Amino acid sequence: MLPSFEERSVWVQLVGLGLALGGYFASAGPMLAAGVMHMAPYIAVFAVCLVLLIVVQIVGHIAAALLGGTDDSDERDRLIGWKAEARSSWVLGLGVFGAIGSLAFGIEGVWVANGLLLALFLSEMLKLALQAVSYRRGV
Amino acid sequence: MASKTGPSGNGRVINHIRVLRAAQHGMTQGDLAKRVGVSRQTLNAIEGGKYAPSLEVAFKIARQLGRPLAEVFEFVES
Repeated sequence: MLPSFEERSVWVQLVGLGLALGGYFASAGPMLAAGVMHMAPYIAVFAVCLVLLIVVQIVGHIAAALLGGTDDSDERDRLIGWKAEARSSWVLGLGVFGAIGSLAFGIEGVWVANGLLLALFLSEMLKLALQAVSYRRGV
Repeated sequence: MASKTGPSGNGRVINHIRVLRAAQHGMTQGDLAKRVGVSRQTLNAIEGGKYAPSLEVAFKIARQLGRPLAEVFEFVES
C-alpha cells in the first residue's frame, strides 16, 4: 500500500532538510575550522541552502502529490507528529542552553549562531526520523 | 480475524473490523476510511493493530459497520 500523503511529506522534508542544511554545515564546517569569524560568508551560504530547501520542498511535495494524490491529515498523523516533537525537542533545548553558556564564556558569535542552527537542524531531523519510524512501526 | 490495536497495561484491545467490513457487502478499506474521515492508511493501521484509534473514531467505525462498539472492539485480559 502506498504511504499516505502525510508520510510521503515527512520523507520529502527529511530529504530536503538533510540536503540543504547538511550542505550548509558541510560548507560552514571548514570555514569555521579555517577561522572565518565574519557573519557575511555564512549568511551567503545559508541563503543558497535556504533556496535549495524551498525548491526541494516544492518539487518534492508536487511529486508526492502526483504519486498518489493528497489527503488531509487525520488523528494518527497528528499523534505521530506530537509524539515525535515531544521526543526530539530536547535537542533544541540543549542547543539553546549550550548557546547561553557559550555566550557567558565569551565564545565568538559565529560559533554560537552555528551551534544554535545545528541544534535546530538536528532537532528537526530527529523529529522527522521519529515520524518516519512511527508510520512504519505503529504508534 | 481479530487484530490487536495497541498495548494496554494488563491486556490489549482487539478489533474485528476486517471481518465485519467483509460482511458489509465487501465494503473496502477505502470506503470505510472515507466514511469515518481518516486516511486508508490509518484504517489499515487500525485493522492491523498498529494504531489504537480515539473513542470518536472507534464509535464512527462501529456506526458505519452497523454494530455496537463492543462488537467491533474488545478488551482482552492477558
